[in-house]
Amino acid sequence: MSADDEFAQARAGNTAALVALIREHQRAVYSIALRMLGKREAAEDLTQEVFMQLGAKIGSIASKEHLRFWLRQVTANRAIDQLRHDARFQMLPLGEETSMFGADEDADPLLKRQLQGLLAELAAPARAVLLLRYQEDLDPVDIARTLEMPINTVKSHLKRSLAALRARCGLTTI
Amino acid sequence: MSEDLEDRLRQALRPVSPGEEFSARLLGRVAAATPPPAPNCHTPRRRVAANWWLSAGLAASVLLALGIRHRASESQERLAGLAARQQVFAALRVTNQKLDLAYLTVRSESEDQL
Repeated sequence: MSADDEFAQARAGNTAALVALIREHQRAVYSIALRMLGKREAAEDLTQEVFMQLGAKIGSIASKEHLRFWLRQVTANRAIDQLRHDARFQMLPLGEETSMFGADEDADPLLKRQLQGLLAELAAPARAVLLLRYQEDLDPVDIARTLEMPINTVKSHLKRSLAALRARCGLTTI
Repeated sequence: MSEDLEDRLRQALRPVSPGEEFSARLLGRVAAATPPPAPNCHTPRRRVAANWWLSAGLAASVLLALGIRHRASESQERLAGLAARQQVFAALRVTNQKLDLAYLTVRSESEDQL
């Protein structure tokens, strides 16, 4: 079955096709949720909410591209709402026990540590911008569309976050 | 330098797996909550449409049969009327002939007496 057939079948109510779509996207959704909220249980709850909503709304999603956009948008916006309104997330303690990064041995451990600290300090929208840019590889225009924010705000969030990370890692700004 | 940092960021922020246990739990919940496939929803609609057409066909057949019967009875009445009319004309013709004959007889007798 091709990816398009699978998507069409999921839209028509085929549970097996929907499960296959969820398998394909669960890493991205869970990673955004985990790095936004900083807690594994909260990330699991959010991931589950997003996919339950997808199960109910799949009929209104037009294409695979629309699905990818919708999943990122719903996950990021729900996480931002939680961080804004739920007291448990106001002062996010990103503990050492929370594994926000994969076991990629090539990735710089110092950078990972500094990045984790930076994510904890950033406001929710800036955190979402950074994740959509470097985890999901979206360009600033797509990030602006996803988060419904002006393009210049996206650019300034990126610039400030990179400068802060550079300073944390002791790198000089060029 | 900036590009290097961005590349390292991408590498550090590769998506992580939620773990098999959570994944199995999630897929189970979504599968249980998903409504049955759409084709089942179409069957009753088709059945209703078929029933409607069947009822409409039966009603049309009954009306057609009643119409044909009414028409046949009308035409029978018309034929009976025509036959009765012909009988009346025949009777009048016979009466006329008999009256003419009686008139001629009376007239010839009167002429003989004169």
